[in-house]
Amino acid sequence: MNHKKARLRLFFRSALLLMIAGLGSLSAQARGGEEILREHCTLCHAETTTESGAAHFSRISDQRKTPEGWHMSINRMLHLRGVWLPPQEKQALVEYLANTQGLAPSEAAPFRYLLEQDTNRVETEVDPNLEQMCARCHSAARFGLQRRTEQEWQYLVNFHMGQFPTTELHAMARDREWYRLAHDEVAPELAERYGLKSEAWEEWLSQDKPLLKGSWRVIGFVPGKGEYDGRMTAVPDEDGNGFMLQMKGHYADGSPLEGEGHARVYTGYEWRGTLMLDDVEMRQVLAADPEGETLRGRMFLADSRRLGGAMNAYKDHERTEVLAIQPGYLRLGESREVTLIGQHLNGEVSLGEGVRVEEVIERSDDRIRMRISAAAKGSPGVRDVTVGEATGDNILAVYDRLARLEVEPAHALARVGGNGGQLDKMRVAFRAVGYAAGADGEVGTDDDLRLGYMPADWSIIPADETAAHEQDADYAGTIDAHGIFTPGDAGPNPERPKSANNVGRLKAVATVDDGTDQVSGESRLLVAVQDYVQRVLD
Amino acid sequence: MKHLKSFNKKAVQLQKAVSPEEVEDVVAMQTIVGCTATADPGWEIDAFGGLSSLCQPMESDLYGCADACWWPAQVPDTMSTYPDWGNGVDKANEDWRKIDGIFEDEQ
Repeated sequence: MNHKKARLRLFFRSALLLMIAGLGSLSAQARGGEEILREHCTLCHAETTTESGAAHFSRISDQRKTPEGWHMSINRMLHLRGVWLPPQEKQALVEYLANTQGLAPSEAAPFRYLLEQDTNRVETEVDPNLEQMCARCHSAARFGLQRRTEQEWQYLVNFHMGQFPTTELHAMARDREWYRLAHDEVAPELAERYGLKSEAWEEWLSQDKPLLKGSWRVIGFVPGKGEYDGRMTAVPDEDGNGFMLQMKGHYADGSPLEGEGHARVYTGYEWRGTLMLDDVEMRQVLAADPEGETLRGRMFLADSRRLGGAMNAYKDHERTEVLAIQPGYLRLGESREVTLIGQHLNGEVSLGEGVRVEEVIERSDDRIRMRISAAAKGSPGVRDVTVGEATGDNILAVYDRLARLEVEPAHALARVGGNGGQLDKMRVAFRAVGYAAGADGEVGTDDDLRLGYMPADWSIIPADETAAHEQDADYAGTIDAHGIFTPGDAGPNPERPKSANNVGRLKAVATVDDGTDQVSGESRLLVAVQDYVQRVLD
Repeated sequence: MKHLKSFNKKAVQLQKAVSPEEVEDVVAMQTIVGCTATADPGWEIDAFGGLSSLCQPMESDLYGCADACWWPAQVPDTMSTYPDWGNGVDKANEDWRKIDGIFEDEQ
């Protein structure tokens, strides 16, 4: 079975089911999440009444989670506990639970990368106890995005013992009293850090939620396509379950960007969009700020979640706003074309000390294409850019010399795939970020001046002598001109010793020309075997 | 590593071979989100930051990971969660193309 085709079939089949379901007289929303919960869950989850008279469902009411977290819990009930829910009721239940037992924006904030599927990163500052107990299999964000009572965390330990009994026999478990430590020490620690009740959640529940319909000015990046800017309109759909989306704009190379889809909002601020963008299915995971002025997050390929880029949207309030310059850097003495991005750009353009507009090539309400130049003897530093009364703070970096290049992500994971197997290759999109030395003239210090993402030449090299000896760079994959790494084919490779897989330890190297100099940066890249359990959240 | 005393000749060699910088790098590569840090022998990377101690090719011992629920993060455990996974594909190293994944997002 070709998995991509199967997924496409599933997508259209689900869409058809939803359309048919939408014709029914009793919509899932009208029934209400609590009613669905009562009908499908109370066979196991006993309903009682709290002191305040509210309904309490055993286990369920003692947890709070993200929409994805509830999605995973309900999936587990469907798969392991024999529950069956029509798709629209499952959706309504996820929405109900995320709205009534979700996470406050400040609680989800430290772990948004997992929701955004921006997972090529090393989690730092994880408590050693939690790292050894939980984060050796899961991401730290996976449990950081849950809130439970102490007893609920202990039940979770018991669930692991029952469902995955060899957990206590693994390395980092068999050398200690795993169950006692997990149940008696780690669960209370989790309850202390991530307890059910919080002021932040109570406050968020009582607060007015942002209104997100309307026109949004968007800026972002799509791997292989580049930076883009455009407009996204969100019109409430007929069922009142979300928004119909339209996106229209340009990539930085001038090619058009166009798409449409649908978005739902959970917990009052968690925006989840799905849209076909230039015939590619994309997903948006964004968070609205409490005032509904911005949506910030990431848009990624639906079938390749690690391939994506930042996406920021700014509400249109019919007033001038200066948001970005692409590219956002200019070398002293250099003249180049740039695009100033904003909305309702009325008024004179001012680019700060030593930088001037040579020529306006094209100007609209939302963008100004122009040639700008920096005086050769000016001073390096960031500049505020002004259009009329509006200012974009620190959006243009003027520099003397490209001092260093960082490759993002600094640590990346790819997985072999394809070659007639059922799992696709898991690719990685790299980008190069340029820095100037900053005021102290020393490279690598805190005052280095971030110039922004730069186009680069890309190559891969072995990570070290061992990787060179194993010829990892010959087998483990290739990188293209956009910085997208495609790993090698799945399956045993008879050409390698022991017919090893096409795994490898590599470095992705970016090189940028800066005048007569060449500056390079590199990132660590691990090419591993497949992950056969592709979870909603790792 | 500095708190560990090498017990035999091989351990001494290993300790010499792994500099503090290398240890840091090993830890980093093990803790990329989605990687498993339980190096036993390791799914993505081994205890020394290499690949040579992993089961290779992976398909040769794939069901050893599934039957015993040894790698439930990356391999469906056939002990209790996905008992039918791999049914009909007895020789994973020959018929690995037939082995499907579990796609929770689509359930």
